Amino acid sequence: MMIARLTEHPILNVRKGELVEFSFDGKKMQGQAGEMLSTALIANGVKVFSRHRSGDAPQGIFCANGQCAQCTVIVNGLPVKSCITPLEKGMVVETLNHLPKLPHAAPDLPAHPPRELTCDVLVVGAGPSGIRASVELGQLGFSVIVVDDKAEPGGKLVLQTHKFFGSVEDCFAGTRGHVIGQILGEEMRQTPGVKVIPNSTVAALYSDGKAAVFEENRRYTHVSFRGLIAATGARERSLVFPGNDLPGVYGAGAFQTLVNRDLVKAAGRVLVVGCGNVGLIAAYHALQAGITVVGLVDIAPEVTGYKVHGDKIRRMGVPIYLRHTVLCVEGDGMVERATIAPVDSDGRPLLEEAKTFAVDTVLIAVGLASVDEYFADAQEFGFPVVKTGDADEIAEASSAMLGGRIAGRKMARLLGKDTPVPEEWREKMEILKSRPGRVMEREKPILSRETFRPVFHCMQEIPCDPCTTVCQFDSIKLKGETGTIMDLPEFDGKCIACGLCAAICPGLAITLARLSPNPGMAEVVLPHEFSTAYEAGSQIPICDLDGNVLGQGTVLKQRYFRKYGTHLITVEVPEEWAHLAAGIRVQPEGDVQPLSEAEFQYFPEDGIVCRCERVTVKEILDFARENPIHDLNQLKAIRVSMGACGGKTCNVLVPRILGQAGVDPSSLAPATRRPVTVEIPMWAIGNQEQDGEA
Amino acid sequence: MMRSYDVVIIGAGSVGTILSYWLAKKGLEVAVIEKNASVGRGEHRAAIGGVRATHSDPAKIKIGLRSLEFLRELEREFGFDVDYVEGGYLFPAYQESIASKLKSLLAVQQKIGLEIDWIGPDQVAALVPGIREEGLLGGTYSPRDGHLSPLKLASAFYQMALSAGVEFYFRTRVTGFVLEGGRVAEIKTDGPSLSPGLVINAAGSNAREIGLLLGTDLPVVPDAHEAGVTEPVERFFYPMVVDIEPTADSENYYFYQDPEGSVLFCITPKPKRLGATKASTSEFLPMVVPRLLRLCPRLRYLRVRRVWRGMYPGTPDDRPIVGFDRNVQGVFHAVGMCGQGLMLGPGLGQLVADRLVGELAPEDEDVFELLSPYRDFTAKELLR
Repeated sequence: MMIARLTEHPILNVRKGELVEFSFDGKKMQGQAGEMLSTALIANGVKVFSRHRSGDAPQGIFCANGQCAQCTVIVNGLPVKSCITPLEKGMVVETLNHLPKLPHAAPDLPAHPPRELTCDVLVVGAGPSGIRASVELGQLGFSVIVVDDKAEPGGKLVLQTHKFFGSVEDCFAGTRGHVIGQILGEEMRQTPGVKVIPNSTVAALYSDGKAAVFEENRRYTHVSFRGLIAATGARERSLVFPGNDLPGVYGAGAFQTLVNRDLVKAAGRVLVVGCGNVGLIAAYHALQAGITVVGLVDIAPEVTGYKVHGDKIRRMGVPIYLRHTVLCVEGDGMVERATIAPVDSDGRPLLEEAKTFAVDTVLIAVGLASVDEYFADAQEFGFPVVKTGDADEIAEASSAMLGGRIAGRKMARLLGKDTPVPEEWREKMEILKSRPGRVMEREKPILSRETFRPVFHCMQEIPCDPCTTVCQFDSIKLKGETGTIMDLPEFDGKCIACGLCAAICPGLAITLARLSPNPGMAEVVLPHEFSTAYEAGSQIPICDLDGNVLGQGTVLKQRYFRKYGTHLITVEVPEEWAHLAAGIRVQPEGDVQPLSEAEFQYFPEDGIVCRCERVTVKEILDFARENPIHDLNQLKAIRVSMGACGGKTCNVLVPRILGQAGVDPSSLAPATRRPVTVEIPMWAIGNQEQDGEA
Repeated sequence: MMRSYDVVIIGAGSVGTILSYWLAKKGLEVAVIEKNASVGRGEHRAAIGGVRATHSDPAKIKIGLRSLEFLRELEREFGFDVDYVEGGYLFPAYQESIASKLKSLLAVQQKIGLEIDWIGPDQVAALVPGIREEGLLGGTYSPRDGHLSPLKLASAFYQMALSAGVEFYFRTRVTGFVLEGGRVAEIKTDGPSLSPGLVINAAGSNAREIGLLLGTDLPVVPDAHEAGVTEPVERFFYPMVVDIEPTADSENYYFYQDPEGSVLFCITPKPKRLGATKASTSEFLPMVVPRLLRLCPRLRYLRVRRVWRGMYPGTPDDRPIVGFDRNVQGVFHAVGMCGQGLMLGPGLGQLVADRLVGELAPEDEDVFELLSPYRDFTAKELLR
């Protein structure tokens, strides 16, 4: 049986947990005790968790975040979401076929009677903004309860293995996301008055000032609070195309959870849809996990994420297909092929130019949507409430850290403690939130034979300053018109080739170069985040900024900067490449080629819109033709949004689909707002009579 | 120019929508004014889906039987599948007082034509596998009651009404009436004004406000009920189970399993929670779940997915208020469904339409006497 665990990773330490046995559909398997059951199953090569009652459709992992129900399996006779169920020794796990049977008896349910907790402020979510808000409030003397659905604080930082942009002073720029998560988590633990309830989900907010929390999958708890901070983050947007429901199509965030948090090799070959930062980073993470990335596809005319991320991906040998769309994904019960095509000026796909790739996974990275239901509930109920981080506005984690502090201060004020929000915080946060700015041409640097100097391959205004903070001679300064960390770095002064600027740069966009003693040659120091050991004297493919292979360079030496988890590889190249050489190709070109001929059948109306209830584009269009639609809730008659996730995925997709039927999306009344969906078993709510047995 | 209609119905809910259809079918020009954006978005959507003729009041039994007949024919005659299932209603009893109360109603119920009888504990247990058998005395069972999807029913009613020519004014709020010579000359709204031949108040939770705009104080006071839905599981029982044994903090509660597999449940808190707020509270689950588990311990393995809250537009005697207004001519009220608009609406719609065009069968005339807005409101519905 294939065991798909990562045995090494260039950035992350591969944990070796205690192996325990469990069974899946009668087969014996092993997994690490305490890891999520879905992870253990994927590590054992399982791709299908359940079969939907509609059409017996196989269901693969989708959100890996406890929000959808696609990973539901039967454990010891009862259905559970495997992505939020820790693996225990001896679990009897079965595929869920259609609907589960309600047993008459099931073994050993926990007997934890419900409890009531009280605090000044309930913070929902321990991501960067929630942590910082709770620390701020704790320091101001408030009692805070932080409820988070994961084992470790940090939110999505836990999944981020890349070095962060932003400023070193305010948000640990240059440090890797998962390390920042640990630092913030520790900050929170050290703050008096802040109590963290991990592995627990807020399941509802009630109008009488309480939140329902399902603690550790076993206890139903009411938390009473005076104020609420919604630091609930974001959910991934989905995309409608035929085959979007096949096991193997899922979100880039879910992928990062599997690969970076859980260290399973969840895919062999992936296609990424979307070239914003999430898609670009997910592609990079895939490469670091030894997974082939055949390309990124985006309908946009240019990379929408940071240019340095896009450049980096191209240098690794990943093509980015701009003005392209994903036509369809096909396969027998799981993803086997994905077909893309360029679009014309009206966004229509040009089928005759389609390309088909053999892949087993398609990652959707088409943006995020704020999880702001609890904020809206609290507003409706008239509670003091502040939303922060992605729940407020989708932006980088760097800005969320400041945003959280601001939210904490705002809450303090709402609760009667007058604490000003420094204007400087607001200004900095706005800068950290900035979309990428202008792209500038850089002058060709003048190289000498005596000393190295940094060569900057960062040409786009983004909020980032780590390189300016590490140079012991203060030779790197930001220069430009904005006067902020959006400006680009320039070198002026002394360089001893210490390599720190190249090693800390989150974009891997700084090299060092000098002319070689060998005539006509130059030495270039390239940052690299893969664990390959290059032997001195070996020939390696060198790329320019855009990923074009310049030719072979000769390895002179390799240094490793443990603090930054980055290798610096010195190569000798022809002098004329000295300022062009930007990186080392990782993926051979042959690995990313499409099939020699496109191979697909295209039925656009077969795409699934409501995943939980498996409602297709065609069903929605048919309904809209028979009924005048003026309210998204009308679609509940055909089960749209009636399933497990409560419309979280489909409600944002439906208006555009209805647009195809001539409905003006702006005229639609919104669907009923529903809480974040986590089911609570009746035994947990009804446990109060079992106090004596507990 | 102001649009004129033979009939303008206020409220596109359980009652108003299907009534608009029947009236339009009788050749009348009908408009419906609705403050929400689509049909059934007031209290209709909060209904869990039970439909029964099992009441104690003869008028309600009659209307209920009509509704059931209509629902049985809905798919065949009109082509709408609203997930209607004849799963029956089961009122179990564990106490002699409850058993005798239920038994005492059988004679009236059966006389009007309701198929209902007392069944023994074994039969009850066979209908709801897993129900507590200890102390179970039996219960009443009415096999031809059932359940349906309120959302699908609203959608069906809307399509039926549209195809019959009814015009809908959504997101439109009635703001007042212009009276001339004791009749409504004009309905003022926050949108267009309408000129009605007849005004029908079918405004559900807002029935009293509409009445007051006309100078009539209808004793319709909404009280809140909360409901919940579980994850779906394989169908394991069909009837709506209603436990009417009161406790210190609640009256009856009831639950059933829908064709999708979810168990839906609801409870009547004691005392009533008056007011119109639709926001869920923390008291619901701890109130209802222990009662559910005591009755049917097997439900403990079910997971609750969502809860919500809706209003029962209540009346002093738990019976609807149906009839002409005596202060203003040409105004008819069909209000105060007490949370039973879903099950009464289809039958009531037909009867009201018949009545308004003078086609009411003589044997149905007592319905309007019993539900008159000007009755004394002293009798009590025993199976509310």
